Amino acid sequence: MEAARPGELAEGGEGQSQEELLARVGQMTRSLHDSLRGLDFDKLIERAAYDIPDARDRLDYVARLTEQAAQKVLNATELASPLQDSLASGADALADAWRAALAGDGMPAASRALAERTLGYLAQARTDSDTTRAHLMDIMMAQDFQDLTGQVIRKVTELAHGLEQQLVQLLVDYAPGDIRRETNTGLLNGPQINPNASPDVVADQAQVDDLLESLGF
Amino acid sequence: MADPKMKFLVVDDFSTMRRIVRNLLKELGYSNVDEAEDGAMALSKLKNEQFDFVISDWNMPVMNGLDMLKSIRADAALAKLPVLMVTAEAKKENIIAAAQAGANGYVVKPFTAATLDEKLAKIFEKLEKVGA
Repeated sequence: MEAARPGELAEGGEGQSQEELLARVGQMTRSLHDSLRGLDFDKLIERAAYDIPDARDRLDYVARLTEQAAQKVLNATELASPLQDSLASGADALADAWRAALAGDGMPAASRALAERTLGYLAQARTDSDTTRAHLMDIMMAQDFQDLTGQVIRKVTELAHGLEQQLVQLLVDYAPGDIRRETNTGLLNGPQINPNASPDVVADQAQVDDLLESLGF
Repeated sequence: MADPKMKFLVVDDFSTMRRIVRNLLKELGYSNVDEAEDGAMALSKLKNEQFDFVISDWNMPVMNGLDMLKSIRADAALAKLPVLMVTAEAKKENIIAAAQAGANGYVVKPFTAATLDEKLAKIFEKLEKVGA
């Protein structure tokens, strides 16, 4: 096969370079086909047909297990948050009762010191339970990875499925086929894996807000 | 401040995300929340029950969030319903398309509790101004 000469593509009009590109893809496909026939052609078909569904199964497995894990975490945080709430309100109620008792005259001096220490502890319990609750919220929010990785996995699975069909079709057809791939997927591109690499993608919420503001929102 | 009894519909095909948004809303004081898995299911709920606010994903099977938003705006009974898009679609053309279709706000995933709170507050504020 001829070595690629990128300079050739730049010359001539758009249509000409397009034709050249297609011709070269055709040549490459033919060359690939010839090489395949020289090798273990049948086995390669078999492997392609087997490996891609296997890769898809593995990705489905990752998606399933990460979702299960995320659901377990959410179950736990949803159960733990109200427990923290009742710990905090219980501490507040006890603190009020102790303060009322301290306000009276009936308490011996020795007990007063203990009551003050108890009040200090109850105040700390309220603060700690609020902090724990905030941590639980963070743990819950972190589970949003499952939605994002799930979408990416779904996209790769679809891609593998398309690739599998194309490859099988190519091998079955035995001839240079039209294997141009649709690159523009419109408005459904999902989570951006590297948002800074592309100028038409926003990298953070501030950029979303700026864009909306420029549109009068 | 918005009415804590107001009813939200959370639309997302991932149950994890629906639970997260539901929990965040609860944290912000809104516990009247229902869920839908896709735009079509959401539309049928919106037509049969009274909702005050929709928080929707974009990329969903059956009917995506943008088509759902367009259907809401085209339906006289639902046209004024506030819709906040919460989505991983982060291209500028997405945000423009959502704005043109009549979204009240746009939040890109992953987002924080503070961002959701802020965007909700901003939408309520604007709605109050229009209502006043």
